Amino acid sequence: MKISTKLILFFCGVVTLFVLLASALLAQTRTVSAGYAALLGQQVRQAETARVIQVSFKKQVQEWKDILLRGHTPADLERYTRQFHDEETTVRSGAVELAGTVVDAKCRELLEQFVAAHKTLSEQYQAAYDVYVGNHFDFKAADKIVRGKDRPPTDLFDKVVRQLNDDVAASVAAQERVVARSRNLALIVSGSLLAGLGLVGLVTVRNILQRLGRLKAVSDRLAAADIEGLAVDISGPDEIGQFGDSMKGVHAAIEELTQLASAAAA
Amino acid sequence: MAAKLTEYYNLAAKEFGLSGRIKLAMLTKIPSEKAGTAQDSPDNIRIFEQALKQLRTQGG
Repeated sequence: MKISTKLILFFCGVVTLFVLLASALLAQTRTVSAGYAALLGQQVRQAETARVIQVSFKKQVQEWKDILLRGHTPADLERYTRQFHDEETTVRSGAVELAGTVVDAKCRELLEQFVAAHKTLSEQYQAAYDVYVGNHFDFKAADKIVRGKDRPPTDLFDKVVRQLNDDVAASVAAQERVVARSRNLALIVSGSLLAGLGLVGLVTVRNILQRLGRLKAVSDRLAAADIEGLAVDISGPDEIGQFGDSMKGVHAAIEELTQLASAAAA
Repeated sequence: MAAKLTEYYNLAAKEFGLSGRIKLAMLTKIPSEKAGTAQDSPDNIRIFEQALKQLRTQGG
């Protein structure tokens, strides 16, 4: 193979390798980006929604306490009752919607339990409210009905939030493992290819330089008219081989000339 | 002995003189001294035939 062909092939090999590496890197970046986008768009958003529902539930309980504390005033009763029901609706609809979207079966089960517990609690709040309003704002009697009843749903929803956070953490860890695996694979593949290409280049250059060195030695001897026992053993299909072949012709011509000169002198 | 190859040198000298011998050596890469001891192999004969043909084409 000619040196020019070898150099062109080597150059094409380097360019192809870098194009392949760039493509692989781009594909890897897209995969990682898509993974994190899915994580942010689903699990992180669900965890965030759960935290909002958790806060709304705490606000609902707080509104109930405001009803008991300040409901003796008609305006306050109307205001805190409305706010209580607003928070109640927010919590219920949010929990139902979240239960319909979460993938984690354990989390969905906890949410369904919470929705059931929240419905029961709403009925108990309504009964307590009726007692409160019907008994001239007797907050003690009303409180007695629902006292501590918000604890089980609160605990259930705390578990939901914890579970969703654990899911997010697990997904992030899985994503990081995928990224690390892809990175290691890319390093191994690109490193191996570069090393292989470097080795091929080194061997090629070394071979060319060795043969050029031999060619120079022959040329030096011809230039010094030192042709006694000179053998031009440089061959091959490349440019150096062709040059060596030409050198053989020159060497043979010089030998012939020398012989003719010797014969003429004799 | 390569009588055939030596004959090519004689032909070159006859047709083109000393320069013909030198050019034949250059083209075949085998000087006359070595041609005398080389084999009359088909390959060598082909090389000398082609070289002589080239000399004749170039007019020596």
